[in-house]
Amino acid sequence: MTATHHDPPHEEYPAHFEPPHGPTWKLLFGAGLVRGGWMGAAGFVFGMLLVLVLRWWWSWEPYWNTEVILAVGGMVTAPIGFLAGIGSFDYWLYYISGRPTRPEDHTGHGAHTWKDYFRVNTDHKVIGIQYLVTTFVFFTIAGLMAMFFRAELAQPGLQFVDSQTFNGLVSVHATLMIFLFVIPAFAGLANFAVPLMLGAPDMAFPRLNALSFWLLPIAGTMFVASFLAPGGAFGAGWTGYAPLSEGQPLGQTFFNMGIQWAGASSIMTALNFLVTIITMRAPGMTFWRMPLLVWANFTTSLLVVIATPFIAGSQFFVMFDRIMHTSFFTPDGGGYVLGYQHIFWFYSHPAVYIMMLPGFGIVSEVISSMSRKPIFGYRLMALSLLGILVLGFSVWAHHMFVAGMADWLRVPMMITTLLIAIPTGIKVFSWTATLWRGRIHLTTPMLFALGFVTMFVIGGLSGIYLGSVPIDIAASDTYFIVAHIHYVLFGGSVFTIFAGVYYWFPKMTGRMYDERLGKLHFWLTFVSFNATFFPMHYVGLRGMPRRVSDYDSAFGDLNFAITISSFVLGASFVVFVYNIITSWVRGPIAESNPWRAHTLEWQVSSPPPIFNFDEIPQVVGGPYEYGVPGARHAVMSPAKEAKEAQEVHA
Amino acid sequence: MRKGIVQLVAIGIVLGVLVTLVAVLFQWLPTSASEEFDRIQDIYWFATVLSIVIFSLVGAVVVYSVWKWRVPLDDDADGPPIHGHTGLEIAWTAVPAILVIALGIVSAVVLSENGQAGDRPLQVNAIGQQFTWKFKYSDYGDLTTGELVLPVDREAKFTMTAVDVIHSFWVPNFGQKMDAVPGIETTILVTPTRTGEYEVVCTELCGLGHATMRAKARVVTQAEFDTWIQEKRA
Repeated sequence: MTATHHDPPHEEYPAHFEPPHGPTWKLLFGAGLVRGGWMGAAGFVFGMLLVLVLRWWWSWEPYWNTEVILAVGGMVTAPIGFLAGIGSFDYWLYYISGRPTRPEDHTGHGAHTWKDYFRVNTDHKVIGIQYLVTTFVFFTIAGLMAMFFRAELAQPGLQFVDSQTFNGLVSVHATLMIFLFVIPAFAGLANFAVPLMLGAPDMAFPRLNALSFWLLPIAGTMFVASFLAPGGAFGAGWTGYAPLSEGQPLGQTFFNMGIQWAGASSIMTALNFLVTIITMRAPGMTFWRMPLLVWANFTTSLLVVIATPFIAGSQFFVMFDRIMHTSFFTPDGGGYVLGYQHIFWFYSHPAVYIMMLPGFGIVSEVISSMSRKPIFGYRLMALSLLGILVLGFSVWAHHMFVAGMADWLRVPMMITTLLIAIPTGIKVFSWTATLWRGRIHLTTPMLFALGFVTMFVIGGLSGIYLGSVPIDIAASDTYFIVAHIHYVLFGGSVFTIFAGVYYWFPKMTGRMYDERLGKLHFWLTFVSFNATFFPMHYVGLRGMPRRVSDYDSAFGDLNFAITISSFVLGASFVVFVYNIITSWVRGPIAESNPWRAHTLEWQVSSPPPIFNFDEIPQVVGGPYEYGVPGARHAVMSPAKEAKEAQEVHA
Repeated sequence: MRKGIVQLVAIGIVLGVLVTLVAVLFQWLPTSASEEFDRIQDIYWFATVLSIVIFSLVGAVVVYSVWKWRVPLDDDADGPPIHGHTGLEIAWTAVPAILVIALGIVSAVVLSENGQAGDRPLQVNAIGQQFTWKFKYSDYGDLTTGELVLPVDREAKFTMTAVDVIHSFWVPNFGQKMDAVPGIETTILVTPTRTGEYEVVCTELCGLGHATMRAKARVVTQAEFDTWIQEKRA
């Protein structure tokens, strides 16, 4: 192959390629949301015809089967059409078909107007913001759902909704919070921060990165749209246990397929992070010099790529049982009901750490820089992440202590579960030791970080109760579990997401948020969060099962109080939204390094240059050397010299 | 520094007392009506003591640090460059390890005791079906009822299954719970210690009527139980 094969397309087009057509043509046939719309519709028609023709070909009566047509046309070919339409595949298709690819003039990078956020953009910083805004939209939707079913639960008996709607609200709330908020919000923050922290110009695979983002709105739309399905939204819980899920109305298919798109998105992102972290570190950035956020996303990504295929498989099996009449999980056809739970939790327990480890990373960054001290026991902090990674795969059946699985499996799973308290404890103690004798700046991100540490300890301790099999037998499937997971995932994950958003807000937008509103947001959230979820421990232990639309009137008063608190919790989020929007539009201009942090993202302008580093950084020390005289994490050398250094390093 | 330690310990004690009050002033657990739940409550208190100590410790350090070392936002000095302390790190790896393993051992012992069926337990089949419970007494000619009646102080061994989807059998006062799963049999033991009326609650989401899937459980004396059986079989 000659050199010209590598290069020629770049020669044939001017720097700014313009298609030889008018603006209407460009609107309809140029990559973008309009083309995405009609190609999505075309994809649906294609899928529908495919099903109809095949059923007619094999004489399967009736030819029209709504569930199959929706599963194939609505949830496979239509999304693919949409993705092709917005231009996710343009470069690859040009390349595959041998047509000249567009010259990489970097027009895909950066965001110059708000419209740039609504197209396929390959800039990791833009994608990070796309992720965060999208996930907060779904957070709002899922939060409103929670307030809706809390209203229903304010009193015993049914007031506002019927059982199917209630079950749907509970299930979609959890599904959105997990798959469209916590997991991707972390991916968004990491997308923004990790390449900067590594000293890299972007992620390893920018086009794949863009594609991973665009799968998310597809998954989210499916989950929300399930309410429009005949029979209502999927109502078997976010856990979707078979065989209940197999007898659910059409809405369940939306869950089965939505999981595939959300899962594919997180697998692609995780691969991208792994390759980026392994191969794109700046010269001198050894593993032991990486910030803990990078370590956290490294371990999280390993969890994602290993575990996520399992939930994808479990949902495919359920869908096959539903529409192809297989019997993976139906005892009548020889299926094994508990098989579903084993496969499901083999993903969904590691998923708990997928939803927690990136938060650990964020909090390590915030606590270290706001206490002006090196993180206490940096290496043990990184190793404890790896410890959680390994142990995390050996505890899944603690979700099944009362499920009727093999008795002998309970004690080993209990021991591994309790052992996870050790690496987790190491992290908590190290954060508190980092505070010790620090110079503590009680900014909003720091408040959320400290709120996280204390609330996560409560969630961890209730986890110790549940780890003990006999106590779990009493408390399993009650509101105690609901309290536990909200202490872990709200007091834990959501608090760290808020901490991360406030912490990197000046870097992302170039503007400063309002500190007073930030503090108001924290205290409102902190108090109403506890008022909402702490009493749930009590009603659970006393005898209130989870996932019920109606309950014993003895729990009426407490549930009423919980509902009121949950409304305050919802209102506290309005303060956050107001703060973020007004600060983004007209907040004071932020300095490049308002926290005087040492990690690399703070050594460039706010917002960072399009390719992050005008000069390639040379990393010379650890990321948290606060108070060490003369210590530097990195020096910014002129690009040419650093490039040579990088080649020597490689 | 000594003064600081005293203050820290004082905060820890205050927090500890507050949390202990929360733990004892409310009756968090339903009254135990079974031997199994008695044992479970013992571990519950073990875990509670553990939790109070750990929460007070972490809480005290956080509160003390913020109170003592908070600086104005425009302060631009750094803290002392302490990178770690091997002894401390070993301690907070080892001590929690010992504590959780102790809890694990106690739990395993209780789990094993709660699984000892004794010589001749009363055999009860519990069958879950959307949205009712059925109880079948195989010792008494498969007498089937919708109400669960158990003699006090005698082990009852529940063998469970489900007709349609997964259900879960729970009587809060018995502390024991087990899923009823289609296609397999599961078991759980209950030794009632208190006569009275209790409630059987389904705790596994089983469909539209899940919230209302309840049954009465009555614990009676052996004599009353025998009479009840005779009436039912007559």
